[in-house]
Amino acid sequence: MNVKAIEQRSELMRAMRNWFAENEYLEVSTPIIATNLIPEPTIANFSTQYLSEFYASRELYLIPSPEIHMKPIIAATKRSIYQIIPCFRNREQIGSYHNPEFTMLEYYTVGADDTDSIAITEELIAKTALKGTPEHALPPFKKMSVAEACQLYGGFDLDKTQTSSALRAQAQRLGLHVPFEVESWEATFNRIFLNFVEPNLPQEKPLILFDYPQQIVCLAKKHPRRPYRRRWELYAGGIELANCYDEEQDKEIVKDYYREQYAILVANRSQTGEVIPDIDFAFANIFDEEFPQCSGVAMGIDRLLMLQGNYKTIGDLILFNLSGSITDGN
Amino acid sequence: MIKAGQIDKGTALLIKGQPFIVVDREFVNPGKGSAFVRVRLKSPATGQTLRETFKTQDNVEDITVDDRDCQYLYNDGDNFHFMLTETFEQIEIPMATFEDYQFIMKEGETYRVTFWEHQPLDIQIPTKVIFDVAEAEEAIKGDTVTGATKNVTTETGLVVRVPIFIKQGERILVNTETKEYIERVNK
Repeated sequence: MNVKAIEQRSELMRAMRNWFAENEYLEVSTPIIATNLIPEPTIANFSTQYLSEFYASRELYLIPSPEIHMKPIIAATKRSIYQIIPCFRNREQIGSYHNPEFTMLEYYTVGADDTDSIAITEELIAKTALKGTPEHALPPFKKMSVAEACQLYGGFDLDKTQTSSALRAQAQRLGLHVPFEVESWEATFNRIFLNFVEPNLPQEKPLILFDYPQQIVCLAKKHPRRPYRRRWELYAGGIELANCYDEEQDKEIVKDYYREQYAILVANRSQTGEVIPDIDFAFANIFDEEFPQCSGVAMGIDRLLMLQGNYKTIGDLILFNLSGSITDGN
Repeated sequence: MIKAGQIDKGTALLIKGQPFIVVDREFVNPGKGSAFVRVRLKSPATGQTLRETFKTQDNVEDITVDDRDCQYLYNDGDNFHFMLTETFEQIEIPMATFEDYQFIMKEGETYRVTFWEHQPLDIQIPTKVIFDVAEAEEAIKGDTVTGATKNVTTETGLVVRVPIFIKQGERILVNTETKEYIERVNK
Protein backbone atom coordinates (compact mmCIF):
# COMPACT_ATOMS: atom_id res chain seq x y z
CA MET A 1 0.00 0.00 0.00
CA ASN A 2 1.35 3.37 -1.03
CA VAL A 3 1.38 5.47 2.14
CA LYS A 4 2.64 8.55 0.33
CA ALA A 5 -0.30 8.42 -2.09
CA ILE A 6 -2.72 8.15 0.84
CA GLU A 7 -1.19 11.27 2.39
CA GLN A 8 -1.14 13.15 -0.90
CA ARG A 9 -4.81 12.42 -1.52
CA SER A 10 -5.69 13.71 1.93
CA GLU A 11 -3.64 16.86 1.37
CA LEU A 12 -5.18 17.58 -2.05
CA MET A 13 -8.76 17.00 -0.81
CA ARG A 14 -8.19 19.31 2.14
CA ALA A 15 -6.75 22.04 -0.08
CA MET A 16 -9.67 21.72 -2.50
CA ARG A 17 -12.30 21.84 0.24
CA ASN A 18 -10.62 24.96 1.65
CA TRP A 19 -10.56 26.60 -1.77
CA PHE A 20 -14.22 25.89 -2.43
CA ALA A 21 -15.17 27.16 1.05
CA GLU A 22 -13.20 30.39 0.52
CA ASN A 23 -15.00 30.87 -2.78
CA GLU A 24 -18.41 30.31 -1.22
CA TYR A 25 -19.34 27.05 -2.84
CA LEU A 26 -21.67 24.85 -0.83
CA GLU A 27 -20.38 21.32 -0.34
CA VAL A 28 -23.21 18.84 -0.93
CA SER A 29 -23.57 15.11 -0.31
CA THR A 30 -25.79 13.10 -2.61
CA PRO A 31 -26.44 9.36 -2.90
CA ILE A 32 -24.26 6.90 -4.78
CA ILE A 33 -27.23 4.61 -5.34
CA ALA A 34 -29.85 6.17 -7.60
CA THR A 35 -33.39 5.20 -8.56
CA ASN A 36 -32.95 6.72 -12.03
CA LEU A 37 -30.14 8.07 -14.20
CA ILE A 38 -29.69 10.62 -16.99
CA PRO A 39 -29.75 8.60 -20.24
CA GLU A 40 -26.19 8.40 -21.60
CA PRO A 41 -25.97 5.65 -24.21
CA THR A 42 -22.16 5.53 -24.20
CA ILE A 43 -21.75 5.01 -20.45
CA ALA A 44 -22.42 1.44 -19.29
CA ASN A 45 -24.03 1.25 -15.86
CA PHE A 46 -23.82 -0.88 -12.76
CA SER A 47 -27.09 -2.00 -11.24
CA THR A 48 -27.93 -3.43 -7.86
CA GLN A 49 -31.06 -4.82 -6.24
CA TYR A 50 -33.04 -3.52 -3.30
CA LEU A 51 -34.72 -6.42 -1.51
CA SER A 52 -37.49 -6.05 1.03
CA GLU A 53 -40.12 -8.03 2.91
CA PHE A 54 -42.43 -5.02 2.86
CA TYR A 55 -42.09 -3.35 -0.53
CA ALA A 56 -41.64 -4.51 -4.07
CA SER A 57 -38.00 -5.26 -4.78
CA ARG A 58 -36.45 -3.01 -7.37
CA GLU A 59 -33.38 -2.37 -9.43
CA LEU A 60 -31.19 0.57 -8.41
CA TYR A 61 -28.13 2.05 -10.09
CA LEU A 62 -24.67 3.19 -9.08
CA ILE A 63 -24.19 6.76 -10.30
CA PRO A 64 -21.87 7.35 -13.29
CA SER A 65 -21.77 11.02 -12.20
CA PRO A 66 -23.59 13.00 -9.48
CA GLU A 67 -25.21 15.36 -12.04
CA ILE A 68 -28.68 13.78 -11.64
CA HIS A 69 -28.71 14.76 -7.97
CA MET A 70 -26.73 18.00 -8.08
CA LYS A 71 -28.83 19.91 -10.62
CA PRO A 72 -31.99 19.75 -8.45
CA ILE A 73 -29.89 21.19 -5.61
CA ILE A 74 -28.90 24.13 -7.84
CA ALA A 75 -32.60 24.62 -8.66
CA ALA A 76 -33.41 24.67 -4.94
CA THR A 77 -30.49 26.75 -3.61
CA LYS A 78 -29.52 28.89 -6.66
CA ARG A 79 -26.00 28.62 -5.28
CA SER A 80 -22.66 27.36 -6.54
CA ILE A 81 -22.11 23.83 -5.26
CA TYR A 82 -19.48 21.11 -5.34
CA GLN A 83 -19.00 17.54 -4.34
CA ILE A 84 -16.24 14.90 -4.23
CA ILE A 85 -17.88 11.53 -4.74
CA PRO A 86 -17.19 8.00 -6.03
CA CYS A 87 -18.63 7.31 -9.49
CA PHE A 88 -19.08 4.05 -11.34
CA ARG A 89 -18.79 3.21 -15.01
CA ASN A 90 -19.13 -0.32 -16.22
CA ARG A 91 -17.17 -1.79 -19.12
CA GLU A 92 -14.24 0.49 -18.29
CA GLN A 93 -10.87 -1.05 -18.76
CA ILE A 94 -8.90 -1.59 -15.60
CA GLY A 95 -5.74 0.12 -16.69
CA SER A 96 -3.38 3.06 -16.45
CA TYR A 97 -6.09 5.70 -16.66
CA HIS A 98 -9.28 3.79 -15.95
CA ASN A 99 -10.96 2.02 -13.09
CA PRO A 100 -14.68 1.14 -12.94
CA GLU A 101 -14.92 3.04 -9.64
CA PHE A 102 -13.23 6.41 -9.44
CA THR A 103 -13.46 9.68 -7.57
CA MET A 104 -15.10 12.63 -9.24
CA LEU A 105 -14.93 16.27 -8.29
CA GLU A 106 -17.96 18.02 -9.70
CA TYR A 107 -18.52 21.75 -9.29
CA TYR A 108 -21.20 24.03 -10.66
CA THR A 109 -20.69 27.78 -10.66
CA VAL A 110 -23.82 29.87 -10.71
CA GLY A 111 -23.70 32.94 -12.97
CA ALA A 112 -20.72 31.51 -14.89
CA ASP A 113 -20.43 30.14 -18.42
CA ASP A 114 -17.90 27.72 -19.90
CA THR A 115 -15.34 30.51 -20.49
CA ASP A 116 -15.55 31.62 -16.85
CA SER A 117 -15.06 28.00 -15.82
CA ILE A 118 -11.63 27.99 -17.50
CA ALA A 119 -10.38 30.77 -15.22
CA ILE A 120 -12.05 29.16 -12.19
CA THR A 121 -10.41 25.82 -12.91
CA GLU A 122 -7.00 27.43 -13.48
CA GLU A 123 -7.24 29.15 -10.12
CA LEU A 124 -8.47 25.99 -8.37
CA ILE A 125 -5.52 23.97 -9.68
CA ALA A 126 -2.99 26.76 -9.08
CA LYS A 127 -4.08 27.17 -5.46
CA THR A 128 -4.42 23.51 -4.52
CA ALA A 129 -1.72 21.66 -6.48
CA LEU A 130 0.56 19.38 -4.48
CA LYS A 131 4.16 20.43 -3.94
CA GLY A 132 6.30 19.06 -6.74
CA THR A 133 3.51 19.06 -9.35
CA PRO A 134 5.22 19.01 -12.75
CA GLU A 135 4.86 22.01 -15.10
CA HIS A 136 2.76 20.04 -17.58
CA ALA A 137 0.02 19.77 -14.94
CA LEU A 138 0.08 23.41 -13.80
CA PRO A 139 -1.70 26.56 -15.11
CA PRO A 140 -1.74 28.67 -17.20
CA PHE A 141 -3.65 26.42 -19.60
CA LYS A 142 -3.20 26.55 -23.35
CA LYS A 143 -6.44 26.95 -25.27
CA MET A 144 -7.40 25.58 -28.65
CA SER A 145 -10.76 25.03 -30.31
CA VAL A 146 -11.65 21.61 -31.69
CA ALA A 147 -11.86 23.23 -35.16
CA GLU A 148 -8.32 24.64 -34.81
CA ALA A 149 -7.04 21.23 -33.72
CA CYS A 150 -8.70 19.56 -36.72
CA GLN A 151 -7.09 22.09 -39.05
CA LEU A 152 -3.69 21.72 -37.41
CA TYR A 153 -3.50 17.93 -37.04
CA GLY A 154 -6.02 16.72 -39.62
CA GLY A 155 -5.60 19.40 -42.26
CA PHE A 156 -9.29 20.10 -42.79
CA ASP A 157 -11.84 22.81 -42.04
CA LEU A 158 -14.37 21.46 -39.57
CA ASP A 159 -16.80 24.33 -40.26
CA LYS A 160 -17.06 23.08 -43.84
CA THR A 161 -17.18 19.41 -42.97
CA GLN A 162 -20.61 19.25 -41.46
CA THR A 163 -22.12 16.43 -43.51
CA SER A 164 -21.35 12.75 -42.95
CA SER A 165 -20.17 12.35 -46.53
CA ALA A 166 -17.78 15.33 -46.34
CA LEU A 167 -16.30 14.05 -43.10
CA ARG A 168 -16.04 10.54 -44.44
CA ALA A 169 -14.08 11.89 -47.41
CA GLN A 170 -11.63 13.56 -44.99
CA ALA A 171 -11.22 10.34 -43.01
CA GLN A 172 -10.43 8.46 -46.20
CA ARG A 173 -8.01 11.15 -47.35
CA LEU A 174 -6.19 10.69 -44.03
CA GLY A 175 -5.89 6.98 -44.77
CA LEU A 176 -8.41 5.79 -42.21
CA HIS A 177 -10.36 2.69 -42.91
CA VAL A 178 -14.03 3.66 -42.68
CA PRO A 179 -16.47 0.74 -42.72
CA PHE A 180 -18.63 0.30 -45.76
CA GLU A 181 -21.85 0.72 -43.80
CA VAL A 182 -22.98 4.29 -43.26
CA GLU A 183 -21.97 5.51 -39.82
CA SER A 184 -22.89 8.60 -37.86
CA TRP A 185 -21.01 11.87 -38.27
CA GLU A 186 -19.98 11.54 -34.64
CA ALA A 187 -18.45 8.08 -35.13
CA THR A 188 -16.35 9.25 -38.09
CA PHE A 189 -15.35 12.38 -36.20
CA ASN A 190 -14.13 10.25 -33.29
CA ARG A 191 -12.08 8.09 -35.66
CA ILE A 192 -10.27 11.16 -36.94
CA PHE A 193 -10.05 12.71 -33.49
CA LEU A 194 -8.57 9.65 -31.81
CA ASN A 195 -6.14 8.80 -34.61
CA PHE A 196 -4.87 12.23 -35.62
CA VAL A 197 -5.92 14.93 -33.18
CA GLU A 198 -5.75 13.63 -29.62
CA PRO A 199 -2.32 11.93 -29.93
CA ASN A 200 -0.82 15.16 -31.29
CA LEU A 201 -2.21 17.66 -28.80
CA PRO A 202 0.53 19.71 -27.13
CA GLN A 203 1.47 18.37 -23.71
CA GLU A 204 3.94 20.85 -22.27
CA LYS A 205 1.07 22.65 -20.48
CA PRO A 206 -2.52 21.60 -19.72
CA LEU A 207 -4.76 22.21 -22.73
CA ILE A 208 -8.35 23.38 -22.89
CA LEU A 209 -9.94 21.97 -26.04
CA PHE A 210 -13.15 23.97 -26.51
CA ASP A 211 -16.21 24.21 -28.74
CA TYR A 212 -17.09 20.58 -29.39
CA PRO A 213 -19.13 19.68 -32.47
CA GLN A 214 -22.88 20.04 -31.96
CA GLN A 215 -23.34 16.55 -33.43
CA ILE A 216 -21.92 15.12 -30.19
CA VAL A 217 -25.13 15.34 -28.24
CA CYS A 218 -24.90 16.32 -24.58
CA LEU A 219 -26.45 18.70 -22.08
CA ALA A 220 -24.17 21.62 -23.06
CA LYS A 221 -25.75 24.64 -24.77
CA LYS A 222 -25.40 25.01 -28.52
CA HIS A 223 -23.71 28.08 -29.93
CA PRO A 224 -26.39 30.35 -31.38
CA ARG A 225 -24.78 30.63 -34.81
CA ARG A 226 -21.92 28.16 -35.17
CA PRO A 227 -22.16 24.32 -35.31
CA TYR A 228 -20.58 23.80 -31.89
CA ARG A 229 -21.51 23.35 -28.26
CA ARG A 230 -20.30 25.36 -25.29
CA ARG A 231 -18.28 22.55 -23.86
CA TRP A 232 -14.57 22.01 -23.17
CA GLU A 233 -12.31 19.21 -22.11
CA LEU A 234 -9.12 19.71 -20.14
CA TYR A 235 -6.18 17.56 -21.20
CA ALA A 236 -3.03 17.27 -19.12
CA GLY A 237 -0.10 15.02 -19.89
CA GLY A 238 -2.12 13.76 -22.87
CA ILE A 239 -5.02 12.46 -20.81
CA GLU A 240 -8.55 13.78 -20.32
CA LEU A 241 -8.79 15.31 -16.91
CA ALA A 242 -12.01 17.31 -16.87
CA ASN A 243 -15.10 18.10 -18.87
CA CYS A 244 -17.08 21.35 -18.71
CA TYR A 245 -20.46 22.49 -20.01
CA ASP A 246 -22.32 25.70 -20.19
CA GLU A 247 -25.29 23.83 -18.78
CA GLU A 248 -28.41 23.53 -20.89
CA GLN A 249 -31.34 25.04 -19.02
CA ASP A 250 -34.05 25.01 -21.66
CA LYS A 251 -36.67 22.57 -20.36
CA GLU A 252 -37.84 21.56 -23.86
CA ILE A 253 -34.30 20.82 -25.07
CA VAL A 254 -33.62 18.69 -21.99
CA LYS A 255 -36.90 16.81 -22.57
CA ASP A 256 -35.93 16.14 -26.20
CA TYR A 257 -32.48 15.00 -25.07
CA TYR A 258 -34.07 12.55 -22.63
CA ARG A 259 -36.45 11.14 -25.26
CA GLU A 260 -33.83 10.76 -28.01
CA GLN A 261 -30.95 9.50 -25.89
CA TYR A 262 -33.13 7.06 -23.99
CA ALA A 263 -34.41 5.62 -27.28
CA ILE A 264 -30.80 5.13 -28.48
CA LEU A 265 -29.78 3.63 -25.13
CA VAL A 266 -32.68 1.15 -25.15
CA ALA A 267 -32.07 0.19 -28.79
CA ASN A 268 -28.35 -0.47 -28.16
CA ARG A 269 -28.71 -2.32 -24.89
CA SER A 270 -31.73 -4.48 -25.77
CA GLN A 271 -29.39 -6.32 -28.13
CA THR A 272 -26.60 -6.85 -25.63
CA GLY A 273 -28.65 -7.44 -22.50
CA GLU A 274 -26.86 -4.63 -20.68
CA VAL A 275 -28.41 -2.68 -17.81
CA ILE A 276 -31.11 -0.26 -19.00
CA PRO A 277 -31.53 2.23 -16.17
CA ASP A 278 -34.85 3.77 -15.23
CA ILE A 279 -35.29 7.33 -16.43
CA ASP A 280 -37.30 10.08 -14.80
CA PHE A 281 -38.73 12.19 -17.60
CA ALA A 282 -39.85 14.77 -15.02
CA PHE A 283 -36.16 15.66 -14.41
CA ALA A 284 -36.45 18.40 -17.06
CA ASN A 285 -39.04 20.20 -14.95
CA ILE A 286 -36.34 21.60 -12.64
CA PHE A 287 -35.35 23.89 -15.51
CA ASP A 288 -37.93 26.58 -14.93
CA GLU A 289 -37.43 30.34 -15.47
CA GLU A 290 -35.68 30.63 -12.15
CA PHE A 291 -33.04 28.01 -12.82
CA PRO A 292 -29.81 30.04 -12.80
CA GLN A 293 -27.26 30.30 -15.59
CA CYS A 294 -24.45 27.96 -14.55
CA SER A 295 -21.42 26.06 -15.77
CA GLY A 296 -20.42 22.65 -14.45
CA VAL A 297 -17.04 20.93 -14.41
CA ALA A 298 -16.42 17.23 -13.71
CA MET A 299 -12.83 16.34 -12.91
CA GLY A 300 -11.24 12.92 -12.36
CA ILE A 301 -9.49 13.22 -9.01
CA ASP A 302 -7.48 10.00 -9.34
CA ARG A 303 -6.05 11.20 -12.65
CA LEU A 304 -5.32 14.62 -11.16
CA LEU A 305 -3.47 13.01 -8.27
CA MET A 306 -1.60 10.76 -10.69
CA LEU A 307 -0.40 13.80 -12.66
CA GLN A 308 0.45 15.93 -9.65
CA GLY A 309 2.22 13.14 -7.80
CA ASN A 310 4.04 11.88 -10.91
CA TYR A 311 2.53 8.39 -10.76
CA LYS A 312 2.55 6.20 -13.84
CA THR A 313 -0.92 4.72 -13.40
CA ILE A 314 -4.01 5.46 -11.35
CA GLY A 315 -3.64 1.92 -10.02
CA ASP A 316 -0.71 3.25 -7.96
CA LEU A 317 -3.03 5.42 -5.91
CA ILE A 318 -6.49 3.82 -6.01
CA LEU A 319 -6.50 1.67 -2.89
CA PHE A 320 -7.85 -1.87 -3.20
CA ASN A 321 -8.17 -1.35 -6.95
CA LEU A 322 -9.53 -4.18 -9.02
CA SER A 323 -6.45 -4.86 -11.12
CA GLY A 324 -4.84 -8.10 -10.08
CA SER A 325 -8.09 -9.59 -8.84
CA ILE A 326 -9.70 -9.18 -12.26
CA THR A 327 -6.86 -8.70 -14.74
CA ASP A 328 -3.12 -8.83 -14.95
CA GLY A 329 -3.30 -5.05 -14.81
CA ASN A 330 -2.70 -4.34 -18.48
CA MET B 1 -12.36 -11.52 -38.76
CA ILE B 2 -12.79 -10.47 -35.16
CA LYS B 3 -14.33 -7.40 -33.57
CA ALA B 4 -11.74 -4.81 -32.57
CA GLY B 5 -13.07 -5.01 -29.02
CA GLN B 6 -11.73 -8.57 -28.81
CA ILE B 7 -8.15 -7.53 -29.57
CA ASP B 8 -5.75 -8.38 -26.77
CA LYS B 9 -2.02 -8.14 -26.21
CA GLY B 10 -0.41 -10.73 -28.45
CA THR B 11 -3.27 -10.81 -30.99
CA ALA B 12 -1.88 -11.10 -34.54
CA LEU B 13 -3.55 -8.89 -37.15
CA LEU B 14 -3.14 -8.38 -40.85
CA ILE B 15 -2.91 -4.65 -41.58
CA LYS B 16 -2.64 -3.68 -45.26
CA GLY B 17 -1.45 -7.20 -46.01
CA GLN B 18 1.32 -7.19 -43.39
CA PRO B 19 1.29 -9.22 -40.17
CA PHE B 20 1.45 -7.22 -36.95
CA ILE B 21 1.44 -8.26 -33.31
CA VAL B 22 -0.51 -6.21 -30.78
CA VAL B 23 1.91 -5.10 -28.07
CA ASP B 24 -0.46 -2.83 -26.18
CA ARG B 25 -4.15 -2.05 -26.21
CA GLU B 26 -6.23 0.44 -24.33
CA PHE B 27 -9.93 1.11 -24.44
CA VAL B 28 -10.82 4.75 -24.89
CA ASN B 29 -14.13 6.53 -24.66
CA PRO B 30 -13.79 9.92 -26.25
CA GLY B 31 -15.83 12.37 -24.13
CA LYS B 32 -19.48 11.43 -24.60
CA GLY B 33 -18.58 9.07 -27.45
CA SER B 34 -18.84 5.36 -28.02
CA ALA B 35 -16.07 2.91 -27.21
CA PHE B 36 -12.87 2.73 -29.20
CA VAL B 37 -9.79 0.62 -28.76
CA ARG B 38 -6.35 2.10 -29.27
CA VAL B 39 -3.71 -0.47 -30.16
CA ARG B 40 0.03 -0.38 -30.59
CA LEU B 41 1.25 -2.92 -33.10
CA LYS B 42 4.68 -4.16 -34.04
CA SER B 43 5.76 -5.65 -37.34
CA PRO B 44 7.94 -8.68 -36.62
CA ALA B 45 9.53 -8.35 -40.05
CA THR B 46 10.77 -4.79 -39.69
CA GLY B 47 10.28 -3.86 -36.05
CA GLN B 48 8.15 -0.94 -37.22
CA THR B 49 5.53 0.11 -34.70
CA LEU B 50 2.12 1.39 -35.62
CA ARG B 51 -0.73 2.98 -33.69
CA GLU B 52 -4.29 2.39 -34.78
CA THR B 53 -7.57 3.28 -33.14
CA PHE B 54 -10.62 1.23 -34.02
CA LYS B 55 -14.24 1.37 -32.97
CA THR B 56 -14.77 -1.69 -30.79
CA GLN B 57 -17.45 -2.82 -33.26
CA ASP B 58 -15.12 -2.60 -36.30
CA ASN B 59 -14.11 -5.83 -37.98
CA VAL B 60 -10.38 -6.43 -38.07
CA GLU B 61 -8.55 -9.19 -39.88
CA ASP B 62 -6.87 -11.53 -37.45
CA ILE B 63 -4.50 -14.27 -38.55
CA THR B 64 -4.14 -17.76 -37.23
CA VAL B 65 -0.83 -18.28 -35.53
CA ASP B 66 0.72 -21.17 -33.70
CA ASP B 67 3.25 -21.32 -30.92
CA ARG B 68 6.27 -23.60 -31.13
CA ASP B 69 9.05 -24.36 -28.67
CA CYS B 70 12.36 -22.94 -29.81
CA GLN B 71 15.73 -23.14 -28.12
CA TYR B 72 17.70 -19.91 -28.11
CA LEU B 73 21.23 -20.63 -29.33
CA TYR B 74 23.09 -17.34 -29.72
CA ASN B 75 23.00 -13.98 -31.48
CA ASP B 76 25.42 -12.77 -34.13
CA GLY B 77 24.77 -9.07 -33.59
CA ASP B 78 22.09 -8.92 -36.27
CA ASN B 79 19.99 -12.01 -35.72
CA PHE B 80 18.90 -14.29 -32.94
CA HIS B 81 19.51 -17.93 -33.82
CA PHE B 82 16.92 -20.41 -32.61
CA MET B 83 16.36 -24.11 -33.09
CA LEU B 84 12.87 -25.59 -33.28
CA THR B 85 13.00 -28.29 -30.64
CA GLU B 86 10.60 -30.54 -32.56
CA THR B 87 12.33 -30.53 -35.94
CA PHE B 88 15.86 -29.30 -35.05
CA GLU B 89 15.39 -26.76 -37.86
CA GLN B 90 17.34 -23.56 -37.27
CA ILE B 91 15.77 -20.13 -37.75
CA GLU B 92 16.93 -16.53 -37.55
CA ILE B 93 14.94 -13.64 -36.08
CA PRO B 94 16.14 -10.05 -36.61
CA MET B 95 17.38 -8.56 -33.33
CA ALA B 96 16.11 -5.10 -34.30
CA THR B 97 12.56 -6.37 -33.96
CA PHE B 98 13.04 -7.36 -30.35
CA GLU B 99 14.94 -4.57 -28.75
CA ASP B 100 16.66 -5.50 -25.48
CA TYR B 101 15.84 -9.20 -25.85
CA GLN B 102 19.54 -10.07 -26.03
CA PHE B 103 19.77 -8.92 -22.41
CA ILE B 104 16.86 -10.99 -21.16
CA MET B 105 17.05 -14.26 -23.12
CA LYS B 106 19.34 -16.98 -21.84
CA GLU B 107 21.36 -19.08 -24.25
CA GLY B 108 20.21 -22.68 -24.22
CA GLU B 109 16.81 -21.80 -22.78
CA THR B 110 13.60 -22.77 -24.59
CA TYR B 111 11.02 -20.08 -25.45
CA ARG B 112 7.60 -20.18 -27.08
CA VAL B 113 7.81 -18.50 -30.47
CA THR B 114 4.66 -17.45 -32.34
CA PHE B 115 4.61 -18.32 -36.03
CA TRP B 116 2.34 -17.22 -38.85
CA GLU B 117 2.80 -19.78 -41.58
CA HIS B 118 6.61 -19.98 -41.55
CA GLN B 119 7.27 -16.49 -40.32
CA PRO B 120 8.22 -16.04 -36.65
CA LEU B 121 6.13 -13.17 -35.29
CA ASP B 122 6.79 -13.05 -31.59
CA ILE B 123 9.10 -14.41 -28.90
CA GLN B 124 7.27 -14.94 -25.64
CA ILE B 125 9.25 -13.99 -22.57
CA PRO B 126 7.80 -14.70 -19.12
CA THR B 127 6.98 -11.48 -17.28
CA LYS B 128 9.04 -12.57 -14.29
CA VAL B 129 12.43 -14.21 -14.77
CA ILE B 130 15.12 -15.27 -12.29
CA PHE B 131 18.61 -14.05 -13.19
CA ASP B 132 22.05 -14.65 -11.68
CA VAL B 133 23.88 -11.56 -10.55
CA ALA B 134 27.10 -11.72 -12.57
CA GLU B 135 28.53 -8.39 -11.47
CA ALA B 136 27.61 -6.19 -8.56
CA GLU B 137 28.99 -2.85 -7.44
CA GLU B 138 30.30 -2.90 -3.87
CA ALA B 139 27.90 -1.17 -1.54
CA ILE B 140 29.45 1.96 -0.09
CA LYS B 141 30.31 1.38 3.56
CA GLY B 142 28.12 3.24 5.99
CA ASP B 143 25.44 3.81 3.39
CA THR B 144 22.50 2.63 5.43
CA VAL B 145 19.84 4.95 4.06
CA THR B 146 16.62 2.98 3.60
CA GLY B 147 15.82 2.44 -0.03
CA ALA B 148 19.42 2.96 -1.19
CA THR B 149 20.06 1.18 -4.48
CA LYS B 150 22.90 0.22 -6.81
CA ASN B 151 23.32 -1.35 -10.25
CA VAL B 152 24.03 -5.02 -10.89
CA THR B 153 24.52 -6.85 -14.18
CA THR B 154 22.91 -10.22 -14.83
CA GLU B 155 24.50 -13.17 -16.64
CA THR B 156 22.63 -12.00 -19.75
CA GLY B 157 24.05 -8.49 -19.53
CA LEU B 158 20.92 -6.78 -18.23
CA VAL B 159 21.61 -3.88 -15.86
CA VAL B 160 19.12 -3.78 -12.99
CA ARG B 161 18.72 -1.32 -10.14
CA VAL B 162 18.60 -3.33 -6.90
CA PRO B 163 18.76 -2.76 -3.13
CA ILE B 164 22.33 -2.51 -1.85
CA PHE B 165 22.23 -5.85 0.00
CA ILE B 166 22.27 -7.85 -3.27
CA LYS B 167 25.67 -9.48 -3.85
CA GLN B 168 27.44 -11.04 -6.80
CA GLY B 169 26.42 -14.69 -7.25
CA GLU B 170 22.96 -14.21 -5.76
CA ARG B 171 19.79 -14.66 -7.75
CA ILE B 172 17.13 -12.02 -8.32
CA LEU B 173 13.61 -12.00 -9.75
CA VAL B 174 13.13 -9.29 -12.42
CA ASN B 175 10.09 -7.96 -14.27
CA THR B 176 11.13 -8.34 -17.91
CA GLU B 177 8.67 -5.72 -19.15
CA THR B 178 9.82 -2.91 -16.90
CA LYS B 179 13.30 -4.36 -16.26
CA GLU B 180 12.70 -3.67 -12.59
CA TYR B 181 13.92 -5.70 -9.63
CA ILE B 182 11.16 -7.60 -7.78
CA GLU B 183 12.90 -9.61 -5.06
CA ARG B 184 15.91 -11.67 -4.03
CA VAL B 185 15.51 -15.39 -4.66
CA ASN B 186 16.74 -17.63 -1.88
CA LYS B 187 18.77 -20.57 -2.98
